[in-house]
Amino acid sequence: MIGRRPHAVVAAFAVAALTYGCGPKSVRTDPGAQVLVVLLPDQDTGNVGKVVVSNAAGQTELSTAYSSTRVTTSRVKPPAKTLKEDDVKKRFGEVLATLPPAPLHFTLYFRFDSEELTDESRKIVQDVLQSVKAQPVPDVIVIGHTDTTGSQTSNFELGMRRANAVRTLLIDAGLSASAIDARSHGELELLVPTSNDVFEPKNRRVEITVR
Amino acid sequence: MTTRRGWVAIIVAVVSTFVTVPALAQTPVAAGRIKLASGQVFVVRGGTSTPAEVGQAVLQSDTLRTGADGRLGVTLRDDTRVSLGPGSEVRLDSFLYTPSEGSLGLVLNFVRGIAVYVSGKIAKLAPDSIRLETPGAIVGVRGTTVAVQVVPR
Repeated sequence: MIGRRPHAVVAAFAVAALTYGCGPKSVRTDPGAQVLVVLLPDQDTGNVGKVVVSNAAGQTELSTAYSSTRVTTSRVKPPAKTLKEDDVKKRFGEVLATLPPAPLHFTLYFRFDSEELTDESRKIVQDVLQSVKAQPVPDVIVIGHTDTTGSQTSNFELGMRRANAVRTLLIDAGLSASAIDARSHGELELLVPTSNDVFEPKNRRVEITVR
Repeated sequence: MTTRRGWVAIIVAVVSTFVTVPALAQTPVAAGRIKLASGQVFVVRGGTSTPAEVGQAVLQSDTLRTGADGRLGVTLRDDTRVSLGPGSEVRLDSFLYTPSEGSLGLVLNFVRGIAVYVSGKIAKLAPDSIRLETPGAIVGVRGTTVAVQVVPR
């Protein structure tokens, strides 16, 4: 993952260039259409992000909770207005309640050259199970990783054994096997970048996504 | 003999072109899954609208549609979440998520009704590749939660 990040960044720029390089984005104008865009705090963290709303006349940035814009014409740029929290909840409360629970990520660590969890990680398994129960239709992705001690091939296999060990734990706890996708990335995605043949406990892990 | 063999080769080539290409197209990677649904809800795929069910896969180019009493919640593979209120329509125009190859992008088209978008990993890795389109404006996203209401003409 870390080794490949520059690649992703380059691609991001490429996409950005493609998206924004072709001049003003063709906004399919539907005169008479009314569009309301509201920036909300994240339901779980309270974090407020940022959006930029554009039409043919210009663009408006929204970056505070409940800031909004109502676009009714392409002749003026989207006007910003902060709404009352209560009004937003009245309008969007039902659809907010229809959001699936936020996906969660866990990292479990393993003993050296082993598919045995460390004691701390053993305790996290309960949290994983809890988050699985919170999902109406759980998808659980389990990816095994290793440090760079040993060959790539043996590390791929070790990563797979780690992923399968976690898979077995989850199935034993009652999760359906069909909900779990277990795989190995071996030593290819180091959490802590190291050179080859380096003993690094933080790289000996299984990453779990529950969504 | 040679001509016959030549013809066979051509026929095999032509047939395999038509057979393998649709076969590949039939197994696209799902962009996400329907996690919550109530009332009348539909997925429109290739012009055909079918009732949607919880657990069903959502693919790139699918349109999600709800009836007057319908509600729908979807989680995409990069952790993006989208929910639709009653009388709504949202199309997943583009979904690219292969971080190891740097292939990232999301275009959602809010056609009508009421919907909420919560950003996922694509917004963290390639925020400029995300576009929420509506009939009157385009929304670029730097993260988290955005509510949209579209009343078409």
